[in-house]
Amino acid sequence: MAKQYEIPIGAQHISLLEPLHFKFTTENEKIVKTDANVYYVHRGIEQACCSKFKFRQVSFVVGRVCGLCSISHTTAYSQVAEKLVKIEVPKRAKYLRMLVIELDRIHSHLLCLSHVAENSGFEALFMKTMQYREFSMELLEAVCGNRIQYDFSIVGGVARDLKPQVAQSIIERLKKFVPQLDELMDIYKNNWTLSLKNKGAGAITKEDAMRLNVVGPFARAAGLAVDVRNETEDLLPWKEVGYEMITETSGDVYARNIVRLRELYVSIRIIENIINGLPETPLITETKAFPDGEATVRLEAPRGELFYYAKGNKTQVLERLKIKAPTFSNVAAMAEAFTGNEYGSVPAIIASYDPCLSCTAR
Amino acid sequence: MMKTFFKTIGNVFKKPVTTKYPFEKTFIPEDYRGLIGFDENLCIWCRRCEMVCPPGAIVFSQDMEGKQTYHFNRAVCIYCGECVRACPKEGAIFQTAEPAPCALKTENINNGWNKLYAEALQSREAYAAEKKKKAAEKAAADKLAAAKKEEENKSATDNQTGAV
Amino acid sequence: MKKIETTLTSLKSDIAAFYKQELHHFMVMNAVEVADKIEVQWFFSDYAYLCETTCFFTLIDPAEKIPSIKDIVVSAWVAEAELVDLMNINIENTAKGFVLEPDFESGPLRKKK
Repeated sequence: MAKQYEIPIGAQHISLLEPLHFKFTTENEKIVKTDANVYYVHRGIEQACCSKFKFRQVSFVVGRVCGLCSISHTTAYSQVAEKLVKIEVPKRAKYLRMLVIELDRIHSHLLCLSHVAENSGFEALFMKTMQYREFSMELLEAVCGNRIQYDFSIVGGVARDLKPQVAQSIIERLKKFVPQLDELMDIYKNNWTLSLKNKGAGAITKEDAMRLNVVGPFARAAGLAVDVRNETEDLLPWKEVGYEMITETSGDVYARNIVRLRELYVSIRIIENIINGLPETPLITETKAFPDGEATVRLEAPRGELFYYAKGNKTQVLERLKIKAPTFSNVAAMAEAFTGNEYGSVPAIIASYDPCLSCTAR
Repeated sequence: MMKTFFKTIGNVFKKPVTTKYPFEKTFIPEDYRGLIGFDENLCIWCRRCEMVCPPGAIVFSQDMEGKQTYHFNRAVCIYCGECVRACPKEGAIFQTAEPAPCALKTENINNGWNKLYAEALQSREAYAAEKKKKAAEKAAADKLAAAKKEEENKSATDNQTGAV
Repeated sequence: MKKIETTLTSLKSDIAAFYKQELHHFMVMNAVEVADKIEVQWFFSDYAYLCETTCFFTLIDPAEKIPSIKDIVVSAWVAEAELVDLMNINIENTAKGFVLEPDFESGPLRKKK
């Protein structure tokens, strides 16, 4: 047996966006074992939601769990609270929620792709992807009034309406974005330099993905067809607006890039369908009821399945709120997928997982 | 190879993508979620905005005459617009498209606000206690007056019966 | 949400009988305080269209030891390690110190008596 070395990466590292710690046991350059430690940013948000804030205010608190999938958290919480107070949301509110979730998916996926490019050593592609991402931030700002914290979903519906001129500008900007996306697709698919770092790196098989309960683009790149948009219909009508499952088979960094890029085409189509078929109903259902009983909600965030559990006790303050972020499900697989890879490709692999540690640790 | 070369040369003459921020304006939508405005003349002092505010950026203090004053901290506010939705009187509290200015050290925006918040709650409690005390005094005075009156009535009737 | 009650002794056999790798998907573990007992929950969902969430639950005393399901569902170690730290309960083969520092006040999500 060759001599083994232990090399840590994180919690502070130049290629990491968030505090995350991996300890690799390596033989020469090959990784044989990985230990993961993901809890560096525990903020006690679950406890704050069950003690300090009233249930209507919690939808603004959970938006602060994560910057990138802020709208997914607020929407999932709003849905679980609506189940507890037993109200049905108007259809226009549902459509607007889906619109913002998909716009958010565009900006989150492009951010992840740009970081994969950067960590693979392709700085120019990082700049290019970030340049093309800017339009989605501006559209989100026009729809929700802010670039990062949208505060769009509230218990009972949505906070703001979509103005006709904003809808028009979304359609126009998306039309401009499609050729740019084709260009990115071409680079990520065919660039030889990028393929050296991405093809075959961090691969995971479909069986492993199933065994380790992987979710999101990570699972879909391995060929496991898991997507909450495909599995639920009652809360948000995804099938109605043209959702389609995207899967790849190789399960490596390259496949994850391609899954993310192909999902952007689906997102664009969903957004266009939503704007063309926006129903004319009120935005919000008012109620004076207090939350009672328990309920669960699943929602597809950009990184995978988001799960909320809430229990009410007929007062303004919830009894218990449990948040399961997508990265939480992937931690076990994240540690395993490194095995057999070279230490040099670790930054690109970590970026391709798209880890969101502030979601995981809350 | 040659294609890349010409593209690189071409890029030299293209305009930059980034905006020179302080000299050029960046994109701000018309209904940007900016500072919260307040109109004292329209307010009906129901304090509903204070109740719904998630971070507690609005607080009302009260002096001994019962007059309330509105306090707002732009550094605590998350600009969600929940106060505007909760307001029963349209236009009393509203959201502008103006971004909030930076907080300065001299403003003492954290500790000063915490102190102000505690004082505001105290002032309201003090006013409520004072009001209760006054109400109790008034009730006692009323009771006394009522008892006196009754006595007078009684003596009057006594006098009458005595007269008869 | 479909709720199935189970006991500490029958928990592992119940979950082993239910859990099929190709059909189900383990999501998360959760614990809620109910009076002076703790309700521990295991959440599963299906891969199918219009699927339902299945929840196994059992009521325990805070000091009781809960069997680990790591040998049935491999990725459950993350959820178990989190719950041990945040709710201060005992799970087989799970050490403290994954979520919080070892010297941190244990069980921050438990209600203060």
